Amino acid sequence: MAFSQDMILSRRSFLMTACCAAAVPVFSPVSFAAMPGENRFVTIVLRGAMDGLDLVQPYGDPAFAQFRPTLALKPDDGLIDLDGHFGLNPAADALMPMWQAKELAFVHAVSTPYRDQRSHFDGQDMLESGSQAVHGERTGWLNRALSAIPRSEDRKAIDINTSMELILSGPNEADVWASSSNMTMAADEVGFFKRLYANDAEFSRVLAEALRTDMAAEQLFQDEKRGQGIRDIAKLAGGMLREDYRIASFSVDGWDTHAGQKAQFARTVKDLTIALTTLKDALGPDVWKTTMVLAMTEFGRTVRENGTGGTDHGTGGVAILAGGGIQGGRVLGKWPELGEGKLLDDRDLMPTGDVREVAAAMLYRQFDVGSEALTNGIFPGLSFDRSSAYLKI
Amino acid sequence: MAPFSPTIAAIRYGYGLAPDQILSRNRDDLLVQLVDAPLKESFFPIGGAFDARQRADDLAKGFEALKIAKKDAENDRAARQQLQRKAEQSFQRDSLARVLQATFSPYGFHERLAAFWFDHFSVNAHKSFPMRVITPLYEVEAIRPHLAGSFRDLLQAAVLHPAMLIYLDQAQSTGPQSAAAQNRKKGLNENLGRELIELHTMGAGSGYTQADVRSAALVLTGMTVDDHYEMLFRPRMAEPGEIKVLGVKYGGNPRSADDCLVMLDDLASRTETAQHICRKLVTHFISDDPPPDVVTAMVQEWKASDGHLAKVYAAMLDHPRAWQEPGAKMKLPFDYVVSGLRAFGITRKNWRERMSPDGDDSYTPFDTPTAAAAQQALKSSGEEMAPAMPGDAGQMAMDKPAASMKAVMPSDPAQLPKPKASLARTLTVAALRRMGQPVWQPPSPAGFEEGVASWLSPSQMSERILWARKAAGTLGKDMEPKKLLEVSLAEQARDDTIRVVGQAPNRVSGLTLALSSPEFNRR
Repeated sequence: MAFSQDMILSRRSFLMTACCAAAVPVFSPVSFAAMPGENRFVTIVLRGAMDGLDLVQPYGDPAFAQFRPTLALKPDDGLIDLDGHFGLNPAADALMPMWQAKELAFVHAVSTPYRDQRSHFDGQDMLESGSQAVHGERTGWLNRALSAIPRSEDRKAIDINTSMELILSGPNEADVWASSSNMTMAADEVGFFKRLYANDAEFSRVLAEALRTDMAAEQLFQDEKRGQGIRDIAKLAGGMLREDYRIASFSVDGWDTHAGQKAQFARTVKDLTIALTTLKDALGPDVWKTTMVLAMTEFGRTVRENGTGGTDHGTGGVAILAGGGIQGGRVLGKWPELGEGKLLDDRDLMPTGDVREVAAAMLYRQFDVGSEALTNGIFPGLSFDRSSAYLKI
Repeated sequence: MAPFSPTIAAIRYGYGLAPDQILSRNRDDLLVQLVDAPLKESFFPIGGAFDARQRADDLAKGFEALKIAKKDAENDRAARQQLQRKAEQSFQRDSLARVLQATFSPYGFHERLAAFWFDHFSVNAHKSFPMRVITPLYEVEAIRPHLAGSFRDLLQAAVLHPAMLIYLDQAQSTGPQSAAAQNRKKGLNENLGRELIELHTMGAGSGYTQADVRSAALVLTGMTVDDHYEMLFRPRMAEPGEIKVLGVKYGGNPRSADDCLVMLDDLASRTETAQHICRKLVTHFISDDPPPDVVTAMVQEWKASDGHLAKVYAAMLDHPRAWQEPGAKMKLPFDYVVSGLRAFGITRKNWRERMSPDGDDSYTPFDTPTAAAAQQALKSSGEEMAPAMPGDAGQMAMDKPAASMKAVMPSDPAQLPKPKASLARTLTVAALRRMGQPVWQPPSPAGFEEGVASWLSPSQMSERILWARKAAGTLGKDMEPKKLLEVSLAEQARDDTIRVVGQAPNRVSGLTLALSSPEFNRR
């Protein structure tokens, strides 16, 4: 295990003294000590359809530059070569240390089962619900996964947002907290609010969660200024995971690059690099080794540049894996090629893999979730077995 | 005749009860608002629509001049930043005025519908600097005048407004076979074509295909904006020839703006559109799980009246279910804040005294001697103040209103009032950013989330309690907690809420609890 016994004990004693005055003890020493596993899992939803072909560019595919006269780069123009075939968009250069340390991998040409319609909203629904068809599931796959994780009651999940995202919504308990929230309530005031909400079950539940999460965030930030930026979000997620949370999810928005993609994409990629590097820093080297990050998007974008220096809604895209204990430094997935007749509907990157299989493999790897649960309750209709290529990471 | 409740009318179909409010007596009182409200001038954009048009035009000219110049990089950057500051300042002031508009207006139903339709036809002021000025104009030009008439007119006004054409990249979209695409590398952008069908009219999954989306985008080509940010049809950019959308042929040679108008009319008339929109209205006003018979009654009226919106609303209000089971919805942050200010009796007459005691004149929406002088000084000096909220207004902590203020002062500070983070901004635009509903900045073309689950969350609760505490401490000096409950909730205040509020150790606690009660947050 990554944690040394000393470290756990010293943190425990610190928390015992820091928390004893609180109305709701957040870091219950029992649940902390009884934690069955140290592994962490983070999902990042890249909302707006991240252009995987711009992030991880197939410069070795001869058709690529023809489809994208202004967006395609070559190593000579600053593209960072990854493996002789793919290159990383230079806006993501901050991720290169992770790549070189084999803590970063990309999965190319993956998608959800969503086809033909290309609506962001339905696409994100599919991605987060893990369903086979639009509106197939009403809850999030990461929430349903909690039921299948052995002794998940000891492993807490948190969504860093102002409101719960679909991916973690559902019957199992998960907390949601915004990076800027800070409730500060005196003990007697807590009593009044509990009474005020006594006859409204939903308000009562949310209050209890707010008090619990606020205490945890309080420990992390203390008097530091808290913002709503991506750095604050990643820092909060990392801090919570370092303590007794085991699953976290948040979003990076801004990927819908219909026009003027070059500048907008670079800005948003910057957010993603900040998210990943901040998360790593906040987790610290030991916990980072036990962590798996999966960043994924609702669908990719058209292979051809459109008429306005951007790209439109497509299908196949890229998923990103990161973590201190992985065998990264590779671009995974089966490359479908881009030439004439190779595109889906003559416009999109042909998906050769299901992003749900990547997610399933990570749940199996991190939490021993069995294939029965993975293919029924969590990702209905998915074919997954233990020989999944994504497990070799 | 359906049952009627003045309290439900104010809370479910308006922005809540205020002291001395004249109550609606029946559904006709609600509908009459739709006739009366447009006759009153709106508080935004500051200085009126004509002034805002002028601001937009000035920006257009400024940015255009910079495109041509490119001589002196240093100077150009300074000039560009000045234009951007001007746009941002205009937006900051209009944003505050937008919240105050909803707070002061006696026509709550009309205001709620304006917010509903702006959200339905979402645009985001942060798309670009010109959008900071054009977005408020969009609401007064495209949305508000058309929300009680024919849906067809509303659709046309919203979809073809420069704000929408810019927001969904239509302004640049060019037919691949058009004259404009021949000599330059230009082409189609599907964004507006898609959202027009998926969000604005028929709704996702209602039977159209990717081919229809692309064809709709082709029909829309040519619809663009000119150098003054006004809508313009440029035949050179339009895809020539006949284009089929959902089995109907549009266009021909030559193409004309009428092709788009006819397509919009056809989309407006489709049954899927009536169903999608009636369902959305019921979801917005009554329940996340819209009662099907209310939707059916509205769709019938839609068909009978050819999409006359006031009649469709009347069909909703005529249904008994429109007056039952209050509390099924959560107020969105904007509605929470506005109804809170109303509960404290904030009005057009007293707001400055109560919410802006430090004289935050640089952001006051209404003409005052100092504000006018400041404007004059701005015009003559050509100088500019930095926006009050640099970058992220949400950084500002509720309890430290002036903590994060930075301002670049103009060359002659004596001429200008010093910008401060007033209580007015803390309790409105800054609070709304923290709560996740910043003014005129929806997260996507689909607008803000609507469901209870999205707004009944721990951090949302935390932000609302902070807001309630701040409002109670600053606006609540002459208000008894029980009185606030009585004023704002009337018979909807529950006995246990009245009891807990009555036991509070002090006035501020009591008011905070009242504003945090489930029934004040629900509707």
